[in-house]
Amino acid sequence: MKGLPPSLAAMLTSPGWRGVVVLGGDADRRLTGSVVVMEVSVHPERMDGQLLVVLLAEDHTDWRIDALISRASAAGAGAVLLAGVEPLGRGAQLLAERLHLPVLGSPDPLAAHEHLRRVTTEPEVVRSDLVLRAVSALRRANGDLESVLRTTASVLERPVTLAGADGGTLAGEPLEAEDRAALVGTLPRVPVGWAAPYRVDLPGGAVLIAVAVLGVGPVCWLVARLPAVVPAEVAAVPEVLSVVAPAVGERLALRRLELERDARQRTSLLGELLHGEPSEATRRRAVEVGWQLDGWHTGIRIGADGQVDVAGRRADVVEAFDAEGLRAVVVEQGDGWSAWITAVSEPTATAVQEQAAAIRRVQRRLVQTVDAYVGVGRVQPGPSGIATSLAEAGDASGLARGRAETGRFLHVDRLGLAQLLLAWTRTDTFQPAAQALLAPIKGQPGDLVTTLAVYLDTESSVAETAAVLGIHRNTAAARITKIQHLLGVDLTNPDERLALHLASRTTPAE
Amino acid sequence: MTVVIREQDLEALVVGVTLLGSGGGGDTGAFGRMLRRRLGAGELVLRDASDVPGALVSPIGVVGATSVLMEKLPSGGEFDTAVRAVSRWAGADVTGLMSLEAGGLNGLTPLIAALDLGLPVVDADLMGRAMPRLDQFSWAVAGRSLTPCALSDPSGQVIVVDNVDAGGLERAVRSFVAHTGGWAVLALAPTPVDAAVADAVQGSLTRALALGRAHAGLEPGATPAALADGLGGRLLASGRVEEVARHLIADGGAAFGRGSVCVVDSSSRAVIRIETENEYLLALVDGSPVVTTPDLLCVLDRRTLQPIAVDAIRTGDEVLVVALPGPAWWRRGDRITRVGPEAFGLACEPQLLEAS
Repeated sequence: MKGLPPSLAAMLTSPGWRGVVVLGGDADRRLTGSVVVMEVSVHPERMDGQLLVVLLAEDHTDWRIDALISRASAAGAGAVLLAGVEPLGRGAQLLAERLHLPVLGSPDPLAAHEHLRRVTTEPEVVRSDLVLRAVSALRRANGDLESVLRTTASVLERPVTLAGADGGTLAGEPLEAEDRAALVGTLPRVPVGWAAPYRVDLPGGAVLIAVAVLGVGPVCWLVARLPAVVPAEVAAVPEVLSVVAPAVGERLALRRLELERDARQRTSLLGELLHGEPSEATRRRAVEVGWQLDGWHTGIRIGADGQVDVAGRRADVVEAFDAEGLRAVVVEQGDGWSAWITAVSEPTATAVQEQAAAIRRVQRRLVQTVDAYVGVGRVQPGPSGIATSLAEAGDASGLARGRAETGRFLHVDRLGLAQLLLAWTRTDTFQPAAQALLAPIKGQPGDLVTTLAVYLDTESSVAETAAVLGIHRNTAAARITKIQHLLGVDLTNPDERLALHLASRTTPAE
Repeated sequence: MTVVIREQDLEALVVGVTLLGSGGGGDTGAFGRMLRRRLGAGELVLRDASDVPGALVSPIGVVGATSVLMEKLPSGGEFDTAVRAVSRWAGADVTGLMSLEAGGLNGLTPLIAALDLGLPVVDADLMGRAMPRLDQFSWAVAGRSLTPCALSDPSGQVIVVDNVDAGGLERAVRSFVAHTGGWAVLALAPTPVDAAVADAVQGSLTRALALGRAHAGLEPGATPAALADGLGGRLLASGRVEEVARHLIADGGAAFGRGSVCVVDSSSRAVIRIETENEYLLALVDGSPVVTTPDLLCVLDRRTLQPIAVDAIRTGDEVLVVALPGPAWWRRGDRITRVGPEAFGLACEPQLLEAS
């Protein structure tokens, strides 16, 4: 006997005892070993807390079961395990409770016996068996990380998780919140190379075994969760995880390589799109990666402060968009991501507002892990619309970065316009934006664009405007009213007035 | 020693034979009332073998499904028919009667027959208690043939069986009763009284009377141990019936209702399990066998102290479980194997009370 014998409750959670059920008696015992007998008529000798396994027990309501329970209890058995899982008779149940002797049932009593025997007397065999099985199963497991974790989980018959340094699940079964907290509390920030596996005892009696996976990128942990302490298993699992960890590290490195390759491809493709009308070859490549060039695009620029693994975290960004129901194309670019959302037809103003709100929620999701600032461009049509809208978004994000009061979020729409115009005066996109802003009053009788420019230049004086333009004062007032009406703006609002002022400056008067 | 039974003794006798039934032997109530009618103000003498020297006695009783007796009522002529048939086949008149089994209703049937036929009754029987099978007759165990014998059913049908062993007779009887009224009167061949009682249990009805009188003297409010003492037995439990399980097992063609009764003693919380067939056969206390056949296991209602039969016990009954010593005749190595627990398919050594 090596170490503390396993408790009955722990054995009941053990994979080798999957079919074992409790038929009667409730006391928890430590099982020191296992003794197998053929029939219920045996008279066991000194049992010393061992499990008495009976291979033939056809009728669980038979009186001989009662007699056996009595004899097993007198001989000091830890528990009795009968073949079959049919319920006991009432008398046997009462007796098992009275004598505090758990009575178990199993469809395969011999396997249960063998498992307990090995766990109690040959823990090193359990360990080497698990390691060998893991090695041979891993050899057969095909490439990807998930399948390595699945294979490991099926060898251990326990959930296996690949967790980040913060306990967040990278692959495999997600950890419960409280398990995660306990894990993070125990693990060191920077693990020593080939450090000993960590054991985290959870309040409910469960145990987490964590082994560091060292490789490219940030450190992560291979974690197995055991619902209860069977000493042999607790000793064996770290060995298995240590064998698996390098394989996981290798998969992570491969995945990283793929990520970077894909990121490079996307970035170069986007680069081509941003340089004017796309060529036939570029269009084809875009179709191949699933980008829709036609339609109406809304550009989004997500910038990130600090050191961010742009390629590695792209999946998080895509996930955040998916979670908000937005089908966005996300491309790694510089210190952040460029994204756009394509609609088949021109979205209505309400739809644009809703979309902006959704993007804002995306940002909120990302802020939990990335220090993100977001700019959103206007809806623009056609292949070149991607570039246009992204350019707007880029400018907006530049402004958003310094504007904590808007939650580091700016949407190039009416409200953020003024600030954007300031930035835009330094860009090629300014001109078309200004023209779009003034489009409603263009071509109207009475040269409204000039009137607006003069009115704003004269500090909103109608009399001055009339004088400059050589028109009657009432005509000037009527034109101003009409301008306000057509643009749908309030000229007493300083922001809007400034935007219009700038726009009228850059738009050549007819 | 002769014992005289009068009207006032009948109640004690009926309870006594019921206790000897060990939970089986059939319902004694109907035959008790029948006996009371026949006896009236008269008297019935239970004779010793020496009282009737030279008599040819026939063991007589009812076989088959005694529960059907309440539905298929006796015509009254069955005893006469059976006795006359067996006399005619044997070529000698029956001049005395004895019982097939003293436990249960067959403790009473020879008394009714004796009153009807005007024959003396010898206080001897072939079991000393109640048991389910014909090969458990003491004659069969001692090597005495059970044939020739006659069976008569309530409709007057008669068969005589001869030249067959106890197992063959068992099969013949079962197929006869299964195809007629469910039960029949069995009368064994007229046998010289000395030989007849030599291989029989003697004095069972006298014991039944004594037991019945002791039972009548019990105070229902007394402690369970005192009540068991009063009957000359050992208390196994006093408590609630937690479970009654019944199932049929096929046993050599004849289906016996096997079952078990679980009682939890209200003071010690000990778990008492009683294995049953037609009778209470084996009692385990906390899983250890403590009393088995041929000793008697009696389950009494805690409040009325009336014996509860195997087929009448129910979950929730408050009961006393009392073990009484079985007939001494069986307490011999070669005999006990025929009536011990092994004879009922219970793999267990016989556990008997200290002979008192």
